[in-house]
Amino acid sequence: MNWRNKVRMALACLLGTFFLLALASELVAPYSYARQFRDLPLAAPSAAHPLGTDALGRDVFSRVLYGSRVSLLLAPAAALLATVIAGVSGALAGLRGGWWEKTILASADLMMALPLLFVLLALRATLPLDVAPLLSAAATFALLGLLGWPASLRVVWAATRNIRESEFLTLARAQGIGPVRMVLRHVLPNVRPVLQAQFWVTIPVFILAEATLSMLGLGVMEPLPSWGNLLRGLEDLSALRANPGLLSPLVLLILVVRGLQMLLPPREELAS
Amino acid sequence: MRTWWPRLVRKLLALTALVILGGLASATLVRFAPGYGVDERELDPRLSGASVEAMRAAHQREANLLSYYAAYLRHAASGDLGTSESLQRPIAELIRQRFAVTARAVLLGTTIAWLAALLTVTFGHFLSGWIFETSSSLLSGLLLALPATVVALVFVWLRGPIFLAIACLTFPRLFRFLHHLLRQAKDQPHVLAAQARGIRPGRIFLRHVVLFALPAMVALLGVSVSMAFGAAIPIEALTDTPGLGQLAWYAAINRDLPLIINVTLIVTLVTVASNFAADSSCRMALRLA
Repeated sequence: MNWRNKVRMALACLLGTFFLLALASELVAPYSYARQFRDLPLAAPSAAHPLGTDALGRDVFSRVLYGSRVSLLLAPAAALLATVIAGVSGALAGLRGGWWEKTILASADLMMALPLLFVLLALRATLPLDVAPLLSAAATFALLGLLGWPASLRVVWAATRNIRESEFLTLARAQGIGPVRMVLRHVLPNVRPVLQAQFWVTIPVFILAEATLSMLGLGVMEPLPSWGNLLRGLEDLSALRANPGLLSPLVLLILVVRGLQMLLPPREELAS
Repeated sequence: MRTWWPRLVRKLLALTALVILGGLASATLVRFAPGYGVDERELDPRLSGASVEAMRAAHQREANLLSYYAAYLRHAASGDLGTSESLQRPIAELIRQRFAVTARAVLLGTTIAWLAALLTVTFGHFLSGWIFETSSSLLSGLLLALPATVVALVFVWLRGPIFLAIACLTFPRLFRFLHHLLRQAKDQPHVLAAQARGIRPGRIFLRHVVLFALPAMVALLGVSVSMAFGAAIPIEALTDTPGLGQLAWYAAINRDLPLIINVTLIVTLVTVASNFAADSSCRMALRLA
């Protein structure tokens, strides 16, 4: 095992631990994410509050754990949605060719021409702002999943085009297998490495997009924590001086995003 | 003449189709957004019943999406983009005022990011080694892992100019692309042959490596403009800079749909136009290479 693989293995273990902690946040967190200690606003880290408290006296450690659950579970779900849309439509475009291909690729081009953040803002504005926190989290990640497919679609389309004329697909066509069955049973299993790579590439993108949207007040709503709205604590520099533990969501976010980026095999390995 | 003329016409037609489709999508969003057709003036006790009825009839005429879109296009063609519901000002005027601020920041930020990325990859080309690879990978990786809003906050704390924040967000992506491109170009057989013939490293870099990577680098120009516009929203919103990004954020917070849709369309037009320009320059660069 070379050093790259060792680093990857260590990162995978670290990310796995974060993921398990996020899953078990209700068991691990000492307090509820919404519980306030009104006499302890912006308390420095202590034994009772390992990462201190925020401006409303809520335990930062508990909020980071619950926030990790939102970000680490919903970002992969959104990435899965985007990959499924990209996989099915990209495979269909690559397999059918003709007008199917032109229409699907034109719609992907149209989506790619619109800057993602502007479209996200436009679509988020069509939804009510005062929705329940859990619904706001679901809406944010659903929007990310529904808008984040075009780049992956082009990759899947290119991979499908490469196998369009292969013998097994010609045989399948000769047996009269329909396009949907051909995509699901023959094309998608053969482009699985591409789909997996796109899935992993999309997760950090969605985590960062959620962080940006939530910090702008358009993502996950309080009191439900996510890494994005926890970062809003950084807006007040004096609060940060009082409790440096407020930096912990940022450190965690950087570790996870960077870890996910490094976990992917380099392009040379993907190509081979 | 024959080769480029039909392509240009096709591209322009595609651009027009994109704008019309984008407009239809915008109109659909506005038309079906919750609260559409509700006019608070109807509650004004000074208005007579006939005036209220006239307002309702005007809204009723816009109930059909296609006629609504036709009216939207007709007004947009004459430069009337409608009125902002939250700011109560013509949208065209708002965009005119703020476009210059964002365009200046994006232009400066993109230029600085490009210069920094080009300088770093050139430096890396001549001094390649594990120290450069590790440090550049760590720095660009760290910047890539930072949300745009956090970079904006750092610039608020430091009271730095926003174009530098845009440059900070665009630089790591550009650096990674350029580094990869030049590394690919460096491994080409003609570069190895030039090295074997004893040609000076500077000449090899300029004549063989950069020229080989030039088309892809030019294509990257359009993408970098799009990236910079995307970065402008959180930066302008958090640094309170009166640009298009802040306007889009303000419109989203206040659910001012006509405003946000028009801002999105304008940014899309700029993105498509810059991609088109980069695409055309890329073809010229390909011929040169």
